[in-house]
Amino acid sequence: MVKAVPLWLRAAAVVFLLLLATFLLAPLVVVVGVSVSESQFVVFPPQGFTLRWYENALSSQAYVDAFKLSGLLAILVTLSATIIGGAAAIGISRFRKPGGALETVFLSPLVLPSIIFAIGLLMLWSAVFGPTSFLTLWIAHTVVAIPYVVRTTLAVLAESDPFLEEAARTMGANRLQRLWFVTLPQCRPGLVAGAFFAFNISFDEAVLSLFLRTPRLTTLPVHIYGQLEFSPDPTVAAVSTLMILITIALMLVLDRTLGLTRFASA
Amino acid sequence: MTDRRETWLLLAPGLLLLALGFLLPIARMLALSVDGPDGFTLSAFARFFQDGYYPSILWRTVWLASIITAICAVIGFPMAYIMARCNPTLRLWLVMLVILPLMTSVVIRTFGWMVLLSRSGLVSRTIRDMGFGGRSFQLMQTETAIVIGMVQVLLPFMVLSLMGVIGRLDPRLEEAARTMGCTFLGTMRSVVLPLAVPGLVAGSLLVFTLAASSFVTPSLLGGARLEVLAGAVYKNVTQTLDWNFAAAQATILFAGIALILVPYLRLGGNRHG
Repeated sequence: MVKAVPLWLRAAAVVFLLLLATFLLAPLVVVVGVSVSESQFVVFPPQGFTLRWYENALSSQAYVDAFKLSGLLAILVTLSATIIGGAAAIGISRFRKPGGALETVFLSPLVLPSIIFAIGLLMLWSAVFGPTSFLTLWIAHTVVAIPYVVRTTLAVLAESDPFLEEAARTMGANRLQRLWFVTLPQCRPGLVAGAFFAFNISFDEAVLSLFLRTPRLTTLPVHIYGQLEFSPDPTVAAVSTLMILITIALMLVLDRTLGLTRFASA
Repeated sequence: MTDRRETWLLLAPGLLLLALGFLLPIARMLALSVDGPDGFTLSAFARFFQDGYYPSILWRTVWLASIITAICAVIGFPMAYIMARCNPTLRLWLVMLVILPLMTSVVIRTFGWMVLLSRSGLVSRTIRDMGFGGRSFQLMQTETAIVIGMVQVLLPFMVLSLMGVIGRLDPRLEEAARTMGCTFLGTMRSVVLPLAVPGLVAGSLLVFTLAASSFVTPSLLGGARLEVLAGAVYKNVTQTLDWNFAAAQATILFAGIALILVPYLRLGGNRHG
């Protein structure tokens, strides 16, 4: 098929891809560039090379606190979303018809823009419990992370052999044994991939965190947003670069566990 | 315990969390939009439409989201086609290229565009050097800046939606069209494009919804002068603390999005993006 593509069009495709790569990566490259620039202003292309802004970021109490909050939150969200979402995915897969109403329900936080849910949660929480807390953020992030776990786990389960569980049953394995020794190992790649997505979603999430923020409840993206509104400086770029590196690491692990291409077309 | 009981036991924590932490908050938001000191009232909605200011924000939101969706579709289709038909090595690189921006925080990507589009930024400077625009020309705080930033943020959703659909097309259909004398571009137009319509529609609905409801990128790149609906909601919640009015604005946004999402879910859009 590809052989029959006219030469000029193949050349055009190469140019197109290069332009697109530039467009998609430009903002990230710029942020990395600014973070190592000697200039105290936010400039690109960078002037000289320094790691001063990283030192700055690591010695700033506000950044370190925000980083600790985001990290702890992301780890807890990873745990809760993977357990709840994984269990739900196993439950959904037991129904005959795939892609039914249940799946739609569990994927709905993915489709509905989070601003609508964010404002509702803030209003509900304030009416019932008062000021928002760490728990509010944990619940909010878990809700938006669950669809990713459900989707990756369902994708893996769709390819698994349903008769394995039947075989275990006939050989006398009880319910828990079947779940633990048969179903769960089959889900593992999906659960691992879902867990990484959950971490990434929570760690980078800005909308819910902005709506639910309090002075003591400022996640890293919210702190960066605040800096950008008033005075962007190379320190923000240094922190952003560290977050980009975490994202790249997560992506590489994801490719190892589930295969990026496989997820992308799932 | 029966199998059925076990299945529902597995689903229970998720359903409970979604009911209390997702559906109930949305219901609360909707209720608050028609709640006043004396019970039910539509005064917040009346206030939204009473003068031209908020309708103009609504119009800008719809207009920008439409342009962003159109650009994403035009760029996304060839990209998705190349990704579906190229060799696996190139495909992995392209998937990484698409997913890396998708997984990076929207705050960071917007920061990058702020640097490029500001008065002293590379893009604004290049355009000035080429002789376009005045001496104080800059892209920041224009609608163009919002569109550029948002297309970069949302293009991955379009590409992934389309790639799922095009990847499942049988390449022999294209070969058949070619052997019968159709040119490559002709095949694209009369074979691939019609068959990719479900992916195109699903991707467009998703991109439009996300574009219409985002405020981080528009407020940082567009500034206070170019307000969009989601930005107005955020401002009312955090600054003016007028929650009933904010709820009414969010309800208007929700209604528009619900109109779009119902056909999306029908199309089985949950398989993509």
